[in-house]
Order: sequence, then C-alpha cells, then structure tokens
Amino acid sequence: MALEVKGCRELQREVLARDLCTLCGACVGMCPYLVAYRGRVVALDECDLTQGRCYVFCPRTSLDLDLLSQTVFGVPYAADELGTVQEIVMTRARDEGIRSKAQFGGTVTALTSFALDQGLIDSAVLTASDANILPSGTLAISTTQVRNCAGSNFVAAPTLAAFNREAEGDIQRIGVVATPCQALALAKMRASPLENRNNIDKLKLVIGLFCTWALRYEELARFLADKVPLRQIVKFDIPPPPANLLQVFTNSGRTDIPLDDVRPFVRPTCDVCIDMTAEFADISVGSAEGVEGWNTLIIRSDVGKELVEAARAKGVIETTPLPEQNIAHLKEASLLKKQRGLKKIIETTGSDEDLLYLKLASEAVKGLLS
Amino acid sequence: MTSITAYESGASQLLMGNEAIARGALEAGLGFASAYPGNPSSEILGSLAEVASEMDIYVEWSVNEKVALEAAAAASFAGVRAIVAMKQNGLNVASDFLMNLNLTGTVGGLVLVVCDDPSGLSSTNEQDSRPAAKWAELPLLEPADSQEAKEMTKWAFELSEEIKDVCLIRSVTRVSHARGDVRLGELVPPNREARFAPTMLGQFTPLLVPIKHNFLLQKVNKAREIFESSPFNWYTGPEKPELLIVTCGSSWYYSLEAVKTLGLESSVGILKLGTTWPLPEKLVQQHLARTDKVLVVEEVDPFLEGNLKELVGDTFSALGPLTFYGKRSGHLPSFGELDPDRVMEAISSLLGRERVAVEPDYAKKAQALTGGLVQARMIGFCAGCPHRATLWSVKNALKLDGRGGFVTGDIGCYTLGLGPTGFFQLKTVQAMGSGTGLASGFGKLDKLGFDQPVLTVCGDSTFFHATIPALINGVYNQSNFTLIILDNSATAMTGFQPHPGTGASALGEPAPTVDIEALCGSLGVRVEVTDPFDLQDTTQKLLDLIQDDGGVRVLISRRKCALVRAKEEKPAYKVWVDSEKCRGENCGCARLCTRIFQCPGLVWDDETHTAKIDEVICSGCGVCADICPASAIIREAA
Repeated sequence: MALEVKGCRELQREVLARDLCTLCGACVGMCPYLVAYRGRVVALDECDLTQGRCYVFCPRTSLDLDLLSQTVFGVPYAADELGTVQEIVMTRARDEGIRSKAQFGGTVTALTSFALDQGLIDSAVLTASDANILPSGTLAISTTQVRNCAGSNFVAAPTLAAFNREAEGDIQRIGVVATPCQALALAKMRASPLENRNNIDKLKLVIGLFCTWALRYEELARFLADKVPLRQIVKFDIPPPPANLLQVFTNSGRTDIPLDDVRPFVRPTCDVCIDMTAEFADISVGSAEGVEGWNTLIIRSDVGKELVEAARAKGVIETTPLPEQNIAHLKEASLLKKQRGLKKIIETTGSDEDLLYLKLASEAVKGLLS
Repeated sequence: MTSITAYESGASQLLMGNEAIARGALEAGLGFASAYPGNPSSEILGSLAEVASEMDIYVEWSVNEKVALEAAAAASFAGVRAIVAMKQNGLNVASDFLMNLNLTGTVGGLVLVVCDDPSGLSSTNEQDSRPAAKWAELPLLEPADSQEAKEMTKWAFELSEEIKDVCLIRSVTRVSHARGDVRLGELVPPNREARFAPTMLGQFTPLLVPIKHNFLLQKVNKAREIFESSPFNWYTGPEKPELLIVTCGSSWYYSLEAVKTLGLESSVGILKLGTTWPLPEKLVQQHLARTDKVLVVEEVDPFLEGNLKELVGDTFSALGPLTFYGKRSGHLPSFGELDPDRVMEAISSLLGRERVAVEPDYAKKAQALTGGLVQARMIGFCAGCPHRATLWSVKNALKLDGRGGFVTGDIGCYTLGLGPTGFFQLKTVQAMGSGTGLASGFGKLDKLGFDQPVLTVCGDSTFFHATIPALINGVYNQSNFTLIILDNSATAMTGFQPHPGTGASALGEPAPTVDIEALCGSLGVRVEVTDPFDLQDTTQKLLDLIQDDGGVRVLISRRKCALVRAKEEKPAYKVWVDSEKCRGENCGCARLCTRIFQCPGLVWDDETHTAKIDEVICSGCGVCADICPASAIIREAA
C-alpha cells in the first residue's frame, strides 16, 4: 500500500486538465510553479520533476482510503456512511457573540479559539475572503483573528497553500479548519512516502467542515456583481431546505438568490466527491438539521475527543445528544453523496474498475452502491 | 576603431565593407546621408556620423527607411550627393517612395545601398533585394569585397548623375562585415550649394506618367551601355573553358576558391559581374560564346541566372545551344548562404570530377580548438536584459489570466522572446510594426467568437519606425489589445543607435526627445508605465490592463538596455547564492533560475548541485532574487 508518486506534469494532465481540481491548495505554496489565482490552480512554468509533493498531496490523485485511514486513525477505512466515528453529538458555542457571527452554532470558531488558548496549537490556518469575496487561507494566532474568519461563503478556497507556506516558518503547532477535500489532502501529506515531509508533523489538529459542494469563484463573482456590489457583501448563508436559497447579506440588507441559479457554478470535481463529512479530520462539524443555532459534531480521533471534552469542561461549548433521526438523516445524506460521486466516476470512466482518483476495494464500492 | 578619414589618398586601410562604402561616398563628395539601422547595413551611417563634423556633411538616423530615402532624395533634388543605407527588409519599407522616385528621377547623385542577409543571420528573412532593381528599373551594382565596395560607391554617384536617377548597390553580410585592405582615394568635400530648382514643369511629380516611364527605360538602357565597358566586370580563365561560371558579389570569391581547390583553372572560366542589372548584353554574350556549359553562382535567388536565360532567349540564334546550371538545375541551393564547398560540389558534379571535400573531422577539430574558450550557450537575452524581466511578467500574467491570451511580436532584440529566454511568449514575428497591426486585427475578431486577450510588444525604436500608424489604427477602429512598449532607450539590436526617444542625434549631440508616454496619451488611450525589474508590480499592471474593459491600452515597460547600463552605471546589486538555502533540483524548485529563467549570469554547479552567480557575466540587476522560491539568491546594494 502506498500513494502513487508522480510529478507536476501528471498532476496537470490527470487533475487540472480534467477539471477535477478541488482548489484545496495542497499543491500550492511549496514551489514557484503552481499558484492559485481567482479560483484556479495555475502552472506558471513546467516543472520537470517526476516526483512531486503536488501530485502526492492532491486529493484527486491516488486516493488510497485504507492507507489514509491507517495513517490517521490506525484502522482500515470503514467504507460506511460516515467513516471513523467515536461519537456524534450536537454542540454550540456558549458565547453568543460567536454564535451571532458564525453559521449555525459557532462550534468551529469556539473550538479553534479554545485550541489556541490551550496551546494545543499555536496558530490556526483558516479561510477568509477579501473585499471581492475571493477566499484564501489565512493564519490566525488570536481569538479575534479566528472570529474574523467565522462564517461560510461556499466558494472553494486554496486554504492549504497557507498551511504549506506557514509550516515552512517558525510556527510549530498548527491547526487547520478544513473542508473534506482539504482534510483528505492533509491526510495524504501524513501518508506521503516522499522524503520531503512538508513539515506535516507540525499539524496538530484538523477541524473538518461538512460540505456538499463548493462554487467556482470567477463565475459566482461575475454573477453576483450584477446583483450586489461585491465589496458590500458581509456574509452568505444557505438556510435549511426547503428554502433552496443562497442568502447574500450586506450591511443594508439581504438578497435572496435561488440556489438553482448558482448551482451551475459548482465545481465539477464536487460531483465525483464521496466525502461529505470530512472523514479524515479529528472532528467534523456541520449543521444540525432542524435545530437552529446548533451544530452536528463528529468526534473521530483521540485528539478530537480530548479537545471537545476539555472545551465542554471549560464551558466553551455545550453539547447534547444528536437525536437518532438526525443521525439517520445525516447518514442518509452522506451515503447519497457517496453514491452520486461513485456513479458519476463510473459514468466518466465507463468502468467500475477505474475509479479515477479513488483507490477503493470493489467490495467496498459494491457495498456503498447497494 | 580607426576613423574612415584617418588616412590620406594612396594609403591602404583595413576597412569593413560598410566602412568602405562610406569612404567611397566621401571620396565622391557626399553631402547628405540618412539611414535606419538594420544589420548588416548599420555601420555605413555609423561611420559617416563619426566624421560628419569633420567632413562638414549632414548625417541622420531617420525614423524608418522610407523617410530616410525621402530625406536623401530631398538632398538630391537640391543638387547634393546623398547616400541612403538600409537592410533588405528596409528596402520594402522604402519601396513605396522608390517606385515613384524612379519616375521623377534625381539631380545630385543618389545612391541607395541595401545590405542583404543570406541565411538571415541577423534578420527575419533572407530576402534577395536585387529583383527590386529590375522592378524599379534602376541600375544595380554588386561589390565582392571592401575595395570594390569603395570604388563602386564612388562611381555610383557619377552613374546616378549621368542617368539622373537612383543607383542601387547591393551588399551581403559577408561583404558588409568582412574586412579587407582598401587603397584609398582623395576625400572630396561636399562643395555644392543646395538649391531646389526644377528644370521642368512637374519634374518631381507624377505628371505624365507614361512619358516619365519611357524616360526611365531610356535611363536604364543608358546604364546598360555604360556597363558594357565597366571595369567591375571581368573574365579570368581559358579561352574556351569546359565550364563557364558567371558570378557576382561574395559568390565570386567562393567560385575562385572552389576552382583553385579543385585545380581546374585551365578548364573552368569565371565571368565576374559587378553590374548585375541591367546586364551588359554584348559583354555577357561575348563570354557566353566561349562554352556550352554555364554555372551561375549567386546568393540567394536565381536572379542573375534568370536574367542570363532571358538574355539568351532574346539572342538564341547568335549563341547556339547553351546549358545553364545553378539553382534551377538543383546544383546549388536557392536558400541560405553559399560557401566554397557548395560551389565545389556543383562544379565536381558537372564535370564528373572527384570532389575534394573538407577533412571529415574539420568541424570537430575547430570545436576542439575553440571549445575551451567559448561557453556553450544558446542565443538568448543578455544578463540583466529588461526584456527577459518583462516577458517573465507577461508569461505569468497570461497564465494567471487563463483565457488563452498571447503576444504578437515585432522586430528588435525582444524578437528573441520567441525562444526559451523569452519563455516562448512571442507567437508571431514579421515586419517592423506588424505586431501592433496584427493586434489591431485580432482585437476586432470578437464578433466572430474570438475572446482571447491580445498583447503585442514593440521596442522604443520600432515604435517610432512603424508602430504608430498601427496603434492609431487600433484606436480609431476601437480594437481591443494591450501594447507593451519595451522602452530600453536604445536601438540595441543594431548597435545602440540613437532614435527620437533618446534625446541625442546621430552625431551624439542633444536632440529633442519625443515623449512616448505623452504621444500615446494624446491618442486618448490608457497608458501605464512600469519598471520591468519590479516583477510583481509589472505582472499586476499587466493583469489590470488585460482585464480592462476593451479598447487599446499601452504599457510602457521602461528600463535601460543592460549593455547601455554596463557602460553608464555601476551595477545596482551584488548578487550571490546562499548554497545552504538553494533547493536546486529538489521538489520546491527544480532549478527554476537556471532551467526556466535562464539568465546567463546564473549557472548551475554540477558539483554542489546548486545555482551560482557567474560574477563576470552578472549585471547586478537583482531580478533573479525575486524569482527564487527559497530566497537563496541574495542581492545586496553594491
């Protein structure tokens, strides 16, 4: 078992040229060749190396889920709805200030701040948008900085470029708030057979975010600019179904955009994704459907468990059991995503033996599709 | 370099062909000289400019060849002897005027020197200019060496005044740039008073075109008569040669060497022609009658060959059966330079002799002798060249923009941008100014579904030469492109001649400076100025311009030519590589600086597997420090 090792040319051919790039940023920030620009990864020049971190770290190349699971959790890949799970609860930040700015219960903001305060990490790689709603990775070392990054904008962001960059420096203990594809890339960094370890040992905490898709920046920005001046946008939200809306908040009010209008901007790579719940994070956080102001939280690793327990003990977050029907619904949604992804992959390759980037035993595929 | 007036009459001086042409003009009482620089012609005006004050003549670098010819024609109209020099491409620019000037004729001797570049050693084509003489119905002289270049030039003024029309001289790189001993004649000051005084109604106008055309034909016939006894044509060889070589220019030397090397002096004759248009018919017929086999040796097109056949066609009954060999028969190539070897091959095959080839390991031996002295390096931008920096930013901006934008190129040092040291950015290269003309056209294709950003580049000298009309065309027709003016404050490729933007005249005296920025601004277009050495700022400005909402935009990328800086300034930085930090071949770099950026000042150390600075070559611009991903290239204020 090992991750396939190839170079930048193959990354371009197998991922970028096929529009499979998730824009996670894992291949960016390490070299002068690959850069992220307005929602795209761009190869500025040809790197002629046959072995590159860019290829190995990419969540859309050689994704050996068993190897990653062994590396991150020490167990084989579960190949079920939610991956490795220790506990599922409902949580929210106790601080109302956090809750008002954040989406749902503010758990991510609260736990990230807490991890910083406790010294579990000395800096957090988060995602923040510029004045034109273009998101990118940013470094937070204080609670204020973490709070400034609260909220979602549903646009894919090359956040891991900031991890790659910052890990080169003096910072020793890094936490990352990651989308599922970003968590996959971080897991691949951990499992990489390359001599260059990319300072991955500095990665101490991964807080994963539930995600069903992310949008392309350029198209969304062009679309929105006709409706709302981009510079005035302060927050996005997608309220729970059946609203089917993207809400765009400015200081002067709210503009509702039918979700179907922005769906064409979903990155094609999201259609071949099988991870909705960030299965390779220490903890994964999403909404708690039907319960406003709360998050669903999946504790996956021991690191995650310790963090959540300490935060609860110190009164940073409060937790309560997630209702059974919510768990069932979460599993159903996650499984649906896996099935859609697998079907799309098989439709693309025309064979259930060739799963593009996925390395998954055929029994596991059958199990998920049945 | 010794001035072309350093020696007196009777002395011998080692002169470059172009210097000999200039000296010949001075011996003819030259009063006016103009040119636009272009290799291999540039030294003609350059050496005249050096002695302009001393000889009391007027010398100018004109903005282009057409204007140069017009300016020289004005001097001629006023009775002054004038010379105008250009390269083969320049003759195309001048030809619009030339094709009218031939009809109106001249007063003071007017000599147009065109220097061709077989094999395109420093050109974008290898156009043979000689058909222009036939086209324009004007006499043509072709010198073979420096001595002849001087004599022909001097005599060309007399011929021009005799027929009252322009006389063309055609040189090639190997004549213009070779040096040879020249026996000098008297320098003649330009003691003529300039006065414009037409002697006929409409003399210098197209009044009565057919009549003027008829005059022109008479002039060319007169030149033919004169050429019959020209000392520039002669025959060497046996009375009845087995093979007659008819040749001209530097090909004469190749023929001489070939015949001598093959030891065929007693069976092969050589008719060397210096007056190649119109052909002196009687003289040529007389020599053609010596044999039944003729080999024509010339560069590049079968011009002489065709004219000889034409002549034979007219006088077939007098000459009897003759077989011509040369380019049409495939014995010599119709492309590229000739050399003695190629001529030897043709003669050997025609006469069934064994060819004496050069030693098979000649090239290896030559390489062994020089290999240690010369570093293996491909043609590319100099160390510290601002064009490399600009094109680096262009490459990055276009990649980031991602809409398939491209650059139409133009003529100058930056033409090298079509190759690796310009990151293959130039996708078209044709004539002076045509990059902008093409951009203007591309920028109007939107109605046909075209959505690629269009960029074009031109140098500061090229801007004045031929870009301005194309730029105005783009503005007027509301095209959509970005013009990058690579302002290195020099006509660098041809040898740093001044131009209207440099503030200096051909004589090095102060001259008004034409402000490129203000000129573009007056067209109502967006104009930005950038320092190409600031890669980040230049890339950002380019992105802003490319992504601007249509129309014509101009970016002036301004930084002096590295070679000019080397003469005028101390290096800005001391640059060195911290080999501890250098990532070399590893992931994270893969030799970006020596493999992609490719400044010759950066070299790869095979032993340490790191980059290092060649201090002899490094110009100290410091740009490479900004491309190094590991900050391993250190620049310190020098």
